[in-house]
Amino acid sequence: MSRILVVAKRVLTQLRHDKRLLGLSVMAPLLIIYLLKIFFDTMPKGFNNARYIMPITAFMVHFLAFLLCAIVLVQERTAGTLERMFINGFRRIEIIGGYVLGYILLATFQAAIALAQALWLFDLSYAWGDLAMLFGVIWLLAITSVMLGMFISTFARHEGQVFPFIPMIILPSVFLSGLLINPEQLPTWANWLGHAFPLFYANDAIQEIIGKTPTSSVIWTNMAILVGYGLFLLTLASRTLKDVE
Amino acid sequence: MNAVEVRGLTKRYGNVQALQGVDLTVPEGMIFGLLGSNGAGKSTLIKALVGALKPNSGEWQVLGLNPLRDQAKLRALIGYMPQGVALYEDLSARENLRFFGSAHGVPALEQRIQEALEFTELTSRADHPVYGFSGGMKKRVSLACALLHKPRMLFLDEPTAAVDPHLKVRSWQLFRELANAGTTLFISTHLMDEALLCDRLAIQQTGKILIVDTPQAILEHGQTRLTIKQAEQTSEQQIASTPNALAETLHSYGLNPTIQALTLHPDSLETIVLRMLQKSEVSQ
Repeated sequence: MSRILVVAKRVLTQLRHDKRLLGLSVMAPLLIIYLLKIFFDTMPKGFNNARYIMPITAFMVHFLAFLLCAIVLVQERTAGTLERMFINGFRRIEIIGGYVLGYILLATFQAAIALAQALWLFDLSYAWGDLAMLFGVIWLLAITSVMLGMFISTFARHEGQVFPFIPMIILPSVFLSGLLINPEQLPTWANWLGHAFPLFYANDAIQEIIGKTPTSSVIWTNMAILVGYGLFLLTLASRTLKDVE
Repeated sequence: MNAVEVRGLTKRYGNVQALQGVDLTVPEGMIFGLLGSNGAGKSTLIKALVGALKPNSGEWQVLGLNPLRDQAKLRALIGYMPQGVALYEDLSARENLRFFGSAHGVPALEQRIQEALEFTELTSRADHPVYGFSGGMKKRVSLACALLHKPRMLFLDEPTAAVDPHLKVRSWQLFRELANAGTTLFISTHLMDEALLCDRLAIQQTGKILIVDTPQAILEHGQTRLTIKQAEQTSEQQIASTPNALAETLHSYGLNPTIQALTLHPDSLETIVLRMLQKSEVSQ
């Protein structure tokens, strides 16, 4: 456990030193939410903004957490520090655990700020219980995204090889996860494919929370699936992260 | 006891045979050099010895342990400095040392970090981020990281490549101090002058070890061109590069027959330049 904390502490120290990266990873979602506001202001009155805004906020946190974690881990490989960590006696589970722990803090920060800005700019108001649930869903999605980034990073030899995974994994989830349209309108195979993305479950939970008659079992089921999804990716990442060439 | 014992080690990357049946024995407590050109397989061999790479075949032991089976045990006993600096550049030298030292559970870590910083002459820049360091300073931080847990054996992959002459001399002084204190050093290099500073030397080419011997014995495989100018006559001849051969040749020119061996130790260009630089610093 102590070595997991050592890795987490180092990840956080690096983030603290890299003010540009930290600033961008917090400012980028804020800027996009502001642009969304300008875009949605052109919609006719009575348009259901919230149906899109909350899932898009979740998506941005998902995208950035995935990208940041995947790239930083690939950088560890290209710089030789990952190999050095292993030779210094760190085990796979300690490295992965440390990363998850370190990025949980960033994900919490990102989720809180993005949610607060979306609520403020779009003048949305929810009961405290619903807000806590919305935060919980976005936070769980962010953690799952960190694990997804970690898993994908094991297939990339350099930073550039992370980018092909964006059109392969991140962009399809925009179209198939119910972010833009109800997935039931999609062909059956596309609807099923949508179930493969974590954003699908986050969106399902969010639509339920902000809907008129929320069913708590649907929300909790989706959150449980997100937890399971994260744990599954964590297991995969710990198997694919190689400590020996 | 031998620090390293390797028999028939092979490693293939796709179509490239990086190691082709390497046999090697390294006794403990010495500086062992691995000399070879770029692409000779030096880093591959070192990675196999530190357990970062799985060879295709062969038997290999480091400090009596199998680098893959006894990974955890071995990693506590060895230090490794990779060819690239492999540091967190946005962290300071001290923070890098603290991180890698924590992995080994070094007792009194802060004190040990201070000692390692002093040993590698980095105290004045210890709290500066590594990205602002010169290549030589980064190499020293990397070396300090490898030394922190006082390993029994150190693997240094081209530790002085791209390092200026002054730092190179200082680095080799550090290596000798470590060897005198009982640490076994396994150092890869492609620099001939450095190879001469090792106690034993292996020459590697395209994944094969060509020869293992002392640097002096390897030098004796060469020939020396001797030019003698006597009155108006100049004669030139090739002789074996041994102290005895030189004395024998000079006997025919009247050298006292009781002198059996003659060795010249001319300064290298590096030593001459360093001395000039030191003189210039003193005069300023």
